[in-house]
Amino acid sequence: MTRVQALFAAAAAAIGIGLWFAFNSTADALQGEYSRIINIHVPSFWVAFVAFGVTAVGSVAWLRSKKSRWDRLAASSAEIGTLFSGIGLFTGMVWGEAVWGRAWDWGDTRLATTAVMFFVYLGYLALRKATPDPLTRARRSSILGVIAVIQIPLVYFSVNLFRTLHQTQSIRPDGSTMPDEMLMAMGINVLAFTVLYIALLSARIEVASAEATAASQPRLASDGVTPPRFNEVEDV
Amino acid sequence: MRFWGQALEVARVDFRIEAREGEVIRIVMPFAVMALLVFPLAMGLDLSTLERIGPAVFWALGVLFGMQVALRQSAEEAVSRKDLYALAGLDPAARFAGRALSGTLLTIGFFAALWLGMVVVYSPGLPAGWPGPTAMATALVAIGLTELGTLAGEVTAGLRNRTALASLIVAPLAVPLVVGGSQTMDSLARDESILPWVLLLLATDLALAVAGVGLARPLEEASR
Repeated sequence: MTRVQALFAAAAAAIGIGLWFAFNSTADALQGEYSRIINIHVPSFWVAFVAFGVTAVGSVAWLRSKKSRWDRLAASSAEIGTLFSGIGLFTGMVWGEAVWGRAWDWGDTRLATTAVMFFVYLGYLALRKATPDPLTRARRSSILGVIAVIQIPLVYFSVNLFRTLHQTQSIRPDGSTMPDEMLMAMGINVLAFTVLYIALLSARIEVASAEATAASQPRLASDGVTPPRFNEVEDV
Repeated sequence: MRFWGQALEVARVDFRIEAREGEVIRIVMPFAVMALLVFPLAMGLDLSTLERIGPAVFWALGVLFGMQVALRQSAEEAVSRKDLYALAGLDPAARFAGRALSGTLLTIGFFAALWLGMVVVYSPGLPAGWPGPTAMATALVAIGLTELGTLAGEVTAGLRNRTALASLIVAPLAVPLVVGGSQTMDSLARDESILPWVLLLLATDLALAVAGVGLARPLEEASR
């Protein structure tokens, strides 16, 4: 079993345990079964924040060392972060539709700022796609990777900054506002999603390495042949 | 030449190019005024609604078109000009500061004209004591937007789909600026403190300035 396969096996086991806790913990008295969405919604955003943080770290490391492995780390993490922030947004909208009666409520600034964060990283991925040269791509995206984290504090603190429908942080320095059972189920799922993130990141980095190797190889038989220069050809 | 001397020289060159090409005055400004006229037509000419949404339209259009000021074609440096700056020993951070300075002044001028247009077209009910805080918020938004536009312009330099891509990069990152600017006006209307929003604008401007100056050298390399 390879390292990536082992990581996926661990992630599958962790997600299984997480789901068991999610479906067997007591549901919220007011929200009913919909409260269980928190076990996917919060871990998804946790992974997205971690992933974007890793993108920033990878970007800084690339700018300092110019080693391609840092670029691969930053790009792979941004892709996974974008995926998980999309999942987080979707589950938030499903929950909003059920509990607030509408999927998108402008009273919830966390929803709006998170959507903005999602688009920032779509821009990051679009920039990478638009830049064919690997070195230029790494240079440009590493700069954007550093700048992009600037808006993350706004997303996180938006629930404190604005009068919003979204509740403020449930876990604070002075304790938690959630019942212990729900908190434990959510904590286990956060851990499970983190393992899944590590597995996906490892796999994506391996794919990126293979892509880089393939890009450096001649693709056609004729790519490996250098035609003679004009003055190198003798008259026949 | 010292840092600010170099920055001023870069800004002077930018102004000269803009004076020759007139991209902001001849293209971006008329387009923005046209957009000011489209909103009432699309919303159905209800005067009380227009009075209410005027400042919001100003911020929305200000950011969208201010972005075009920052990303104007005339601000894109040719490789020969970049080479000239590098050979002359120009500090990349001074280059960033100079470009941000010229862009900020142009954006402030653009905002002033757009504000005037919005007041004429929408006749909004403005809160007492609006000129000072509005001018301050507008200047802070202009600074942040130009810093962001300069950074995005550099990372997308020379790409075929530069205009759309740079806009996609700038628009979501400019959200703290839109929020700060519009909420300053809102707080003023509700007679609440504008300090949190001014601090948000200041923090965003400062973070972008630090990023721009700190990343000036890689930015210079990246834009080639």
